[in-house]
Amino acid sequence: MTTDTFKPRAKTTEQVVGLIKAVTHDTPQAAVVLGSGVSALNDLTHAHIFPFEELFGIAPTVSGHAGSLTIGRLPENQDVIVAVMRGRFHLYEGHDWNVVTLATRSFIEWGVKELFLTNAAGGVNSSFNVGDLMVITGFRDLLSEVWQKEGLQLLKKAPQDCQNDMSNRIISAGDELHRENKEFRALQKGVYAAFTGPSYETLAEIEMVRRLKCDAVGMSTVPELLTVANSGTAAAAISVITNVWSDDQPMGGHEEVLEASKAASRRLDQLFRHLLAKKHKI
Amino acid sequence: MKDWKRAKIFDFTGATDAGSTIKEFGESVTRTLREPSEEKLAIVLDTAYGLEGTAPVVVRDHINLSGFNPLIGPNHSIGERFPVVNDIYCADDSNGLTLKKVVAAGVKVGRSVDDSDLEFIRTLGAQCYCFNLVPTMLIAAHAGWKILAILGPAGTGWQKECLQKLGK
Repeated sequence: MTTDTFKPRAKTTEQVVGLIKAVTHDTPQAAVVLGSGVSALNDLTHAHIFPFEELFGIAPTVSGHAGSLTIGRLPENQDVIVAVMRGRFHLYEGHDWNVVTLATRSFIEWGVKELFLTNAAGGVNSSFNVGDLMVITGFRDLLSEVWQKEGLQLLKKAPQDCQNDMSNRIISAGDELHRENKEFRALQKGVYAAFTGPSYETLAEIEMVRRLKCDAVGMSTVPELLTVANSGTAAAAISVITNVWSDDQPMGGHEEVLEASKAASRRLDQLFRHLLAKKHKI
Repeated sequence: MKDWKRAKIFDFTGATDAGSTIKEFGESVTRTLREPSEEKLAIVLDTAYGLEGTAPVVVRDHINLSGFNPLIGPNHSIGERFPVVNDIYCADDSNGLTLKKVVAAGVKVGRSVDDSDLEFIRTLGAQCYCFNLVPTMLIAAHAGWKILAILGPAGTGWQKECLQKLGK
């Protein structure tokens, strides 16, 4: 970092967990991270809300990211305790890896067993539609220190697999919801490529990730997926496809994207409720 | 067709005089591109590696393999937080020049690229690689510039002729 603007005043994971435990002894069964423009689980009861700056010592810099952690219970099943992160820290903001992974490391420290990650992503797979939800089954890292160090050598390898019990559960929940109601679009599955940004990808880069067997591109989530490896916390991720890259079509208008994200958020909300409430039924 | 006679030259090849030679991408390039400018047209000359033959080429797009994006950090108010960087390269504007259009890969300075790497870069869709163009383009795109990027083999010979044909 060349300036002091982002000199981390970040708290440690012990401090973060300490702050939470001073307010509530509820340990959530799952944490959900909501990416830009993604909205879900807005009606938790018994909610405790922590603004990012208070909790992590750092404020988000991106508009459209509220930047808060809510701990609460599902209205339809009060036994289900969930932590919902609205917004996250990104590398493109100038934050270092330590800050970008602080929330995830805090969830691990806190003993949260399951982490559901979401993001807004560009569709690279031309069979995708704006507003689709894609379960991330694998990813390509074009943003970590490993990528900076290895560069091309990392791209020569296959995408990193991240299918697990959680992603399989998301897929079957999606199947179920789609069978019950066709309005609930079938989930897509695919490989997510993470770039640092903040510039969008060039058309040649879109073509490159297509050749690398990726289905969507974005600027987040991979730090979290890399962080949970070998920890007691499992993670799965879902991309909301907010635009679809194609050669003969410019990026969709802002209105169209907003509308599609709203509909996608409603489906995502349904999906999370189904997953979280159901899991607790005995 | 844009009037490239009035474009600003960023020469990373060390071949042109007139004070437009720059050793490598850095703060001074960023500063220049963020100064007020009426035309916001830049001709970027950079050395290309991995080209077949010795003829210069014009860039129609790039892939960034450098692991670096100069726009990381707080957003500069000159442009958007998430700039769209398509339609920045003006490969069709090379006037009297009839150059092959290529996709260039941007690589980190100091990175060695062997034959198998080059072969792999080609499978990713690029025909050559260079060091300074990609960060320059990202800063330029963010600040609203259009770019005519010409790459050629290390050494001199092609730069002057290209610039002359563009009326420089």
